[in-house]
Amino acid sequence: MKARDIFGYSFSAIRLRKLRAGLTTLGVVIGIAAIVALLSITQGLQNTITGELQKGLATDTLIVTVGGGAFGGGQGDGGGFGGGFDGGGDSDFTLLVNDTQTIMDLSPGNITAALAVIQRSGNISSTETNRTTTIVGVDFTEYKSIYSSTFVAESGEIPDSPENNSVVIGKRVTDPRLNGTTLFSAGDTVTIFWLNSSVRPPVIENYTARVAAVLEEVGGFGFGGPSDTSIYIPIIQAQGFFATDQCDTIIVKLVNSEESTIDYVSEKIEKSEEFAGEVSVISSTAVVELLQSIISLISLFLVGIAAISLLVAGIGIMNIMIVSLIERTREIGILKALGMRSRTVLGIFLGESVIIGVIGATIGIVLGWGLANIVAILFGTGLFGGGMGGGQAAGGALTITPVLTPTVFLGAFGFGIGVSVIFALYPAWRASKLKPVEALRYE
Amino acid sequence: MNAIVESVNLQKTYMLGKVPVEALRGVNLKIEKGDFVAILGPSGSGKSTLLNLIGALDKPTSGTLLIDGVDVSKLNDNQLADLRRKVGFVFQFFNLIPRFAAIDNVELSMSIANISRSERKKHAEDMLETVGLKDRMKHKPAELSGGQQQRVAIARALANNPSFLLLDEPTGNIDSKTAHEVMEIIKKLNEKGVTIIMVTHDQHLAREAKRTVQMMDGVITSDEANHL
Repeated sequence: MKARDIFGYSFSAIRLRKLRAGLTTLGVVIGIAAIVALLSITQGLQNTITGELQKGLATDTLIVTVGGGAFGGGQGDGGGFGGGFDGGGDSDFTLLVNDTQTIMDLSPGNITAALAVIQRSGNISSTETNRTTTIVGVDFTEYKSIYSSTFVAESGEIPDSPENNSVVIGKRVTDPRLNGTTLFSAGDTVTIFWLNSSVRPPVIENYTARVAAVLEEVGGFGFGGPSDTSIYIPIIQAQGFFATDQCDTIIVKLVNSEESTIDYVSEKIEKSEEFAGEVSVISSTAVVELLQSIISLISLFLVGIAAISLLVAGIGIMNIMIVSLIERTREIGILKALGMRSRTVLGIFLGESVIIGVIGATIGIVLGWGLANIVAILFGTGLFGGGMGGGQAAGGALTITPVLTPTVFLGAFGFGIGVSVIFALYPAWRASKLKPVEALRYE
Repeated sequence: MNAIVESVNLQKTYMLGKVPVEALRGVNLKIEKGDFVAILGPSGSGKSTLLNLIGALDKPTSGTLLIDGVDVSKLNDNQLADLRRKVGFVFQFFNLIPRFAAIDNVELSMSIANISRSERKKHAEDMLETVGLKDRMKHKPAELSGGQQQRVAIARALANNPSFLLLDEPTGNIDSKTAHEVMEIIKKLNEKGVTIIMVTHDQHLAREAKRTVQMMDGVITSDEANHL
């Protein structure tokens, strides 16, 4: 029997029991839709997060923090990743502002600058408003040279030799929802507060500052670089205001962003006599890669769960096929009496499963893609936005564009058909092995 | 004359649970091309078992059975299936595929035999015309009377130009008037040279054949020519 005729026969058998076939197919549809939706969304999420991270990302920088395996020291708790992964450890070791010079001396040929960053949570207020923010103490000139594309004034001017009371503020500090609001402008006099809890009882420290500049919008999570939700004060002022010589991170600018340079300098710092075992060095690109791999892992986990539903669908297919086999025993006997080979009977039953798989996978992919887009729209409206990316997302929802890669498309298609066929193998084999005499006698 | 079916000491034993049942106990039979043989016998005489063996639906336990010169006992499953394409089966209960129209049922046996779509459509129409059902060819079995269904079954059996027609109680499930019409078709086919082997327990029907083979308890008790 020709393949076309086998498929024609299979199709006629499916058409005979439309509701049953429809429900069987529905199992495949749900499984494939879940897989496609999850993969498209997580791929989109990965792209979005990577994109956000890479905004203003300086690939030729390293971030040195205290503690083995620490992740963090990002710019501010409004920036999403800052602070949360400080890792720390039990060591009393601290990074000092003047450790920048020690780091510079470790590999002078590869390091062009090293910059200490002190940061604390605090507030900035004017007579009309009061905003919680992250106060970041940096050397303006050095910071500007490292983040030349993002530490840029939109209004006012970032001073090279700042007065101690100068402050540069991130875009979202003055315009939290990026809708044209201006809470603070260049030239304004503001008060900066922080809660000094190192003394008993804790004291609220404050000083009056002048807004020297408002930064352009950076976007992204501001990892390792300027953030829209932070304010920047000169490092000298930070040392005095926070009464410390300790810094939270040291940003190291390299001569280039080559992997060999990154690895060499990282190792040099981590294994140096001064910092051995006490600091961790992480490159911006490594963070991005790490996050990508975490999302991939989550994606794999979710798809694994979705695949279980497809497995259930497969068992449904097997069940229906066995019922169908019993119902059609006599029909199989007739076909065999007419000269049909066992292999062709096998082909007919497998053909039915292929048809169910193809229809189920096709509808499932379309449905999954639709679901992914609906979820993306809901993310876009901010329904799920609050949890993603902290301060940034609070002001504007995270935009996810679902991605359906050819691999996912073909994989889902193949998986749908594959599961259908695998679970139909046993009933099809049983059908093919029926003895014509016994099958014809079956009532 | 050429022997289409030839059996020598043909035996078939079934296991009914753990009890062996000898359905055929040494059948010697020779059917020539163009013959019209009625195999007559009561229930349990072994005639259906013989029909299954002649139709290559089953293999003998011992003895020799040659169909079209081929020893059935030496064939594997695929070869048996191929041999069945040379046999035109007509069953008591018609055994048409209910979801297929008459013409599709006839075409089915040809599609199994790998005949091209265009060729089988034309041939199926011719076969249905032969049995007088061309105007009902688009009807499904449920829309046809018992006699018409049996005629579709005959058309289907003829579709692959079989070596012989094998009929199992062909009128057992239809009324006597329709049965007569069906027998007329069968006789006409035989007159045109089609070899007919018919299993029945109806003596009147058996008299329509050229030759009657009487069976009892798994053996042939008589084999006589009918005087038409």
